[in-house]
Amino acid sequence: MWQTNLKIIGIVVGTLGLYTLVASSIPQVASEVPEELTFTSEVSTAELIAAGEQLYSGAGGCTTCHGTGMRAPNLLTDHASGGPIGQRCGGRAPGESCKLYLYRSLVEPAAHVVEGFPPMVFQARTFSDAQLWSMVAYLESQGGEVTVTADDIETSGEAGDAATSVTLEPGAGPAGAGGSLDARQLLQDQLCLGCHAIDGAGPPLGPSFDGIGSRLSAEEIRTAILNPGADASPGYEALIGVMPTTYGQTLSAAQLEAIVSYLASRN
Amino acid sequence: MRTKTLTACAALLLLALLPEALLAQAADGTIQMRMYGDFPASLGGPRIAVWVAAQVHLFFAAFVLGVPMFAVVTEAIGIFGKEHKYDKLAKEFTRLLLVSYSATAIWGAILVFALITLYPGVWSYLAEIFAPSMWAYVGLFFFESFTLYLYYYGWERWHEGRAKLGHWTLGILLNIWGTAVMFIANSWLTFMMSPPAEVTPDTSPAMVQFWSAFANATWMPINIHRMIANVVFGGAIVGGYAAYRFLLSETEEERAHYDWMGYVGNLIAISALIVLPFAGYYLGREIYEFNQQMGMTMMGGFMSWLWIIQAFLIGVLFLAGNYYLWVGMGRIPGAERFQPYTKWMLMVLVIGVIVWATPNTMIANRAELTAMGGSYHPFLGVLGVMSAKNTAVNLMILTTFLSFLLYRRANKRAMVGWVRTGTQVQAAIFVITAAVVLFYGIYGYFVTAIVRIGFSVWQVLAVLFAIITVTAIDVRMMRGAESYGAIRWGQMPPRSQYALFILMVTFTWLMGLMGFARSGIRQHWHVWEVIRDTSEFAATPPLGYAAQIISVCVLIFLGLVAFIFWVGELAEKPIVTHVRKEPLAGEGHLAPAPAGD
Repeated sequence: MWQTNLKIIGIVVGTLGLYTLVASSIPQVASEVPEELTFTSEVSTAELIAAGEQLYSGAGGCTTCHGTGMRAPNLLTDHASGGPIGQRCGGRAPGESCKLYLYRSLVEPAAHVVEGFPPMVFQARTFSDAQLWSMVAYLESQGGEVTVTADDIETSGEAGDAATSVTLEPGAGPAGAGGSLDARQLLQDQLCLGCHAIDGAGPPLGPSFDGIGSRLSAEEIRTAILNPGADASPGYEALIGVMPTTYGQTLSAAQLEAIVSYLASRN
Repeated sequence: MRTKTLTACAALLLLALLPEALLAQAADGTIQMRMYGDFPASLGGPRIAVWVAAQVHLFFAAFVLGVPMFAVVTEAIGIFGKEHKYDKLAKEFTRLLLVSYSATAIWGAILVFALITLYPGVWSYLAEIFAPSMWAYVGLFFFESFTLYLYYYGWERWHEGRAKLGHWTLGILLNIWGTAVMFIANSWLTFMMSPPAEVTPDTSPAMVQFWSAFANATWMPINIHRMIANVVFGGAIVGGYAAYRFLLSETEEERAHYDWMGYVGNLIAISALIVLPFAGYYLGREIYEFNQQMGMTMMGGFMSWLWIIQAFLIGVLFLAGNYYLWVGMGRIPGAERFQPYTKWMLMVLVIGVIVWATPNTMIANRAELTAMGGSYHPFLGVLGVMSAKNTAVNLMILTTFLSFLLYRRANKRAMVGWVRTGTQVQAAIFVITAAVVLFYGIYGYFVTAIVRIGFSVWQVLAVLFAIITVTAIDVRMMRGAESYGAIRWGQMPPRSQYALFILMVTFTWLMGLMGFARSGIRQHWHVWEVIRDTSEFAATPPLGYAAQIISVCVLIFLGLVAFIFWVGELAEKPIVTHVRKEPLAGEGHLAPAPAGD
């Protein structure tokens, strides 16, 4: 009996040992916690790059998509013969410097979508300005010149303001809309126009706002803003989950109704 | 019963004392909430304490929830099929359940105490939102306990006629209570993973809508996945128990009984395993829909290699499960005619495992990308994609089903006039199904991702269609079949039982791995994007570390299970059936004759 028991224990322990060994032999990747960054006005370029690289490769989760060339453009290596990101970012958006292009790509993912790829899924609001700018510095360093300085970090304060938690003041969107009830301004400030075309111009990522009042009732528009995943417009089913679901918190009731009324009037 | 009552009372007492345990008075007189408690870092810190408590509790809970499901079905076969041996088997399943029930409750209490004392901030937050459901949870435990004791201890008293039907109804009721208990607990943990959009860090828990939090995005997918997984897990543990009893059997009758019981346990586990991936796919899809970043982290980020480990383990399951069946055919007269097919099935399984375990996304640095000449490995990149993997796993499922079919037909000679045609139709269904699976697998390389995802549905439906139709044909074809001889229950080599042990250990470890996956995709959030983990143990550990913790949990669980089952045996003799020498006409492989019939 003891012989049998020992054999069974051996099988059990051996099997557990095998699985533990296999799991320990493959690449070990941990998920780090984004480190809070505090820079002084004398922060060096090298410090910014180092912090950005740590975030890019770790807690930022960037390598989840950037690096395979399938889900997102390669950043550290060549993409479409443009070279690494630091080399090609300056020419991507007319009138926008490389620094501004990269920063905007992080905080307004839908603003600059590379052809052939879906909009980036990145929650800038969970990162502080220092963290975002350090990532910009790192990306600029990939084949380009780093122009991020401490001034950028101190003066931006508009997006990704919270260091360690998500805190969005009601009525204050990523670009600081404040208490404005100007619907057209709200659409711009809340980045709606980053995906939805209006007046015949704009990206085709989401349904156009032109004629939306004839397609949807006010109630349907309100539902679409507060619960984007509830019912996708025909042809946009694959993009369910892309539109932010937080407008119920970032807009005040008055702002929401201003937007709804404005869109409902666009026949 | 006393243990459960004491545990419940202790939990209530601690809840009542909660404010004193959680709160401390600051220097200015205000009451401060403590976020974290202390646990020795040498033992891994608070995170390990909660991890181990949660995982061991879940192992026991899965067992005590899974067993009633197939115990009720087995009893029904005994009642409506008028086969008394199944009734006895159902009672034996329930005895295992009974002795494990207290351990489940004890570990549940340990988990609650660990959460209260080590994560008081998170616990307080969740308790404020889910308080009504927590009271319902406790209440349901009483119903479940009473029902279980009536179900087991009333077995011999209410053994025929209407009383027997009433007894069977108790079994159904037991499943209802148990499922409700699980659904409630699932709402708490899925809320942590997928809180409703309106819940933000600034939302007071008092303002959170209860039902919105309860029925969150991943609640029902987890419910479905766990219900099926519990059946798989329960079958595997039963199989392991039977294997142990087989190896220690001293009489032929005992050996025959536990050989049969092991076969039934394996049949339950592998049959339910076939549909489990679909539930997992649904869960994965809902996670993606809820939050794409979480979905991508799970599949393509730091957790991507976890699915390679999963593929390896499932490969072991398929190989061990089929090996057990093939060895088992050695005790079936007439099965030797199917033996030449074994090597081809083994080839399909091995190739399938290799393809499925091929990694897709590799986190590569610049030097590695340059060495590979791009983002994908030149050779592995072709195989490490879902088109190839879905094809591989569907063919493995089809092959396993074929193993079961050959096992079922091993000692039978069909006497119907259409046996040749029927067999040809079955073979054609297999070939066409394999062709459909392969077609969509290859075609998937030439279409966009969104189209390719849809192809997996056709592959799955083709396999399910094959299983249902081939089984239906086989059942009709084997009616009135002649037998080559009775199954020689008990005449199995010991290595076959070790295969059942490997299955039991692998299923348990796999469950631990999936628990790590579910918790790990939250990363450094207690409640995703609502309550951040600010403790020193916030980082999610790599797979190697997780594997060590999982192995410890499995060892604790299996050690306790061995002890609990041994204790159960002290009180009662096992229910053993006698082996009938000659088979009855038409009797197949189902079971040995019951004792006393």
